[in-house]
Amino acid sequence: MIELRGLGKRFGERVLFEGLDLDLVPGRTTVIMGRSGSGKSTLLRMINQLERHDAGVVRLSPIEIPAGLPHAEWSRRATALRRRTGMVFQGYQLFGHLNVLDNVTLAPRIVQRVPRAAAEQQARSLLELVGMAQAVTRFPARLSGGEAQRVAIARALATQPEVLLLDEPTSALDPGSTADVVRVIGDLKARGFTLAMVTHDPVLGHQLADELIELD
Amino acid sequence: MSRVLVALMLAGAMLTGALSAQAPLPERYREAGVIRWGADAEGGAPFVYLDAGQPARGEVGFEVDLAKALGELLGVEFRRVQAPYENLVQVLDRGDCDVVLNGFEPTPARRDLVRFSRPYYIFQQQLSVGPQVRDVRSLADLVGRRVGVLGQSRSHELLRAQPGLEVVVYESNVTAYEDVVNGRNAASLADLPIARAMRPLFPQLVDVGEPFDAFYYCMAVRRGEPDLQRALDAALGELLANGSLERIYRAWDLWVPAEARLGDAEVASAFADDGVRAAGAIDWGMALPLLGLGALRTLGISVAAFVFAVVLGLVVALLRLHGPRPLRWCAVAYVELLRGTPILVQLLLLYYGLGQIEGMQLTAMQAGVLGLGLNYAAYEAEIYRGALSAIPRAQREAAMALGLTTAQSLRQVVVPQALRLSLAPSTNDFIALFKDSSIVMVITVVELTKQYQMLANVTGRFIVLGLVTSGFYLLMSLPLAYAARRFEQKLDRDGA
Repeated sequence: MIELRGLGKRFGERVLFEGLDLDLVPGRTTVIMGRSGSGKSTLLRMINQLERHDAGVVRLSPIEIPAGLPHAEWSRRATALRRRTGMVFQGYQLFGHLNVLDNVTLAPRIVQRVPRAAAEQQARSLLELVGMAQAVTRFPARLSGGEAQRVAIARALATQPEVLLLDEPTSALDPGSTADVVRVIGDLKARGFTLAMVTHDPVLGHQLADELIELD
Repeated sequence: MSRVLVALMLAGAMLTGALSAQAPLPERYREAGVIRWGADAEGGAPFVYLDAGQPARGEVGFEVDLAKALGELLGVEFRRVQAPYENLVQVLDRGDCDVVLNGFEPTPARRDLVRFSRPYYIFQQQLSVGPQVRDVRSLADLVGRRVGVLGQSRSHELLRAQPGLEVVVYESNVTAYEDVVNGRNAASLADLPIARAMRPLFPQLVDVGEPFDAFYYCMAVRRGEPDLQRALDAALGELLANGSLERIYRAWDLWVPAEARLGDAEVASAFADDGVRAAGAIDWGMALPLLGLGALRTLGISVAAFVFAVVLGLVVALLRLHGPRPLRWCAVAYVELLRGTPILVQLLLLYYGLGQIEGMQLTAMQAGVLGLGLNYAAYEAEIYRGALSAIPRAQREAAMALGLTTAQSLRQVVVPQALRLSLAPSTNDFIALFKDSSIVMVITVVELTKQYQMLANVTGRFIVLGLVTSGFYLLMSLPLAYAARRFEQKLDRDGA
């Protein structure tokens, strides 16, 4: 379980968070909502340390990341923590030089040293799960937004993360694609994945949330 | 008036008038009042040079004195024009000077191209060896060893005629001697006047054997100007007869017994009939393999230098963007230093500069590859820096979110995409390097352009050889451009 305790974050003079506590409980879906600039993406990115926090601690036992660690030590712990989480970005961020299959197998092969054949087998079943099994040899630039986002979800799941972080996964998509992606996310929730999602879509938020955090 | 006096006056008038009557200076020179003489003052002692000890004296040399004496005799100003020694014929042909007066020897190849005056000096050859070289008394003792020489000189010709030597060609006697001192070459052969004049600069060198061979310095004029040649011949004859020539040579410690033969009829008329010789023919059976070899060398140097430049350039760019602060500064300094100074200076420093340090000597090929590689790495680094910066930061975040370390993210995600963006500008750079590689000729590498120069100098066929040489360059660069374009098209199809 990821725990955030007494988390603080400021940008210059502006205090974004102070003394924030949050638990991502296994099997449950936490939805973070709030208006633009309320810091909901920053909060999500602090969970996997793409943003550093200024106070408090982020914990994914036994990894403990207090504020103010020296850079090298912070970097080591942050990488260890990220290896147990997955993330889906608003803009997909598939790797343009790799085809769909290689996008999904990259992290297992490089980070977890899974042999290529095993990684590909697992990738194919994940792509099946998100309905993209037919696209393995295509390149990202040739995918629609909804297709790209579903591949991005498969990629994020490939390292078997304990928590999947979703940063506005549907806000760049047209309604049809949104429905596809929402269906996949609902599927994951039904299978018992632990999810944390940022969204500004109240309908989607309320539909999926077990826990709802509203920032202002 | 006595008959004797009349006879004396007549004789006097004939003497002064003899010159203009026999061979008057062509009218255009008399009218202009100027004859421009081409010579190379770089490393030009004792011919024409700047005396480092007394720069205020301006240009000095025995040929400066000779030119002055000729000018006074012919009633015109002899004005010097600077030209590289190896290109004197072309400079003359183009009309940028009227006379070549620069220790210029009437080699067979040159006799096809220009018209030579009667010899004004007879010189011998002096072999000089490095301080470490003990067993050498003559050229025959140098079989299998490297001997440096000024390109296209009499000395060069003699070395080529001696089997078994590894002849290294230089554009200046100074650098040829330099490479004997630092041990790259065993010996250097040069005209005796040059050897004597350079000795104070290279006290470590040892002259071995007696001076040998005898050959001539002559002035050269364009083939179509026999009148000018005859006027110069007459003037030289006059300077020889009235003792001016001997005075000048004695002042420079250059009068040797052999000079007594300058007045011999056969010496004086040795090159008088050159005007009827035919222009040089190209022996393609010899020229094409030589150009081909030069092309291969160009290709080898370019490819090796570029591989080096790509790897180093990428390292420099990554250090500049992602390295620790002190290394970032180093990367910036590297790029600015290498881009901001001429590659010619860098090459000369690498080859001759390092050559002066024990244990740091590079072969000409090594220095050429290293110099081009180091220089182009600076340009490549800037291309990669731009390309790396163009990859969105979110791509790196996406890789890091998957648990890749910073280094892994760069290696797996950012760099491969940046290299694709750099492909077009990099190909461009490679083609530029490919052509710029001809600059390594300054450190004695005979690549395609240098080979062209040498062949063209010998035959005078600048145009046809130039076209063939360009053909060789295109044969090598076009397939490369084509391959790069195909690769880019493939990437476009992938949308990558």
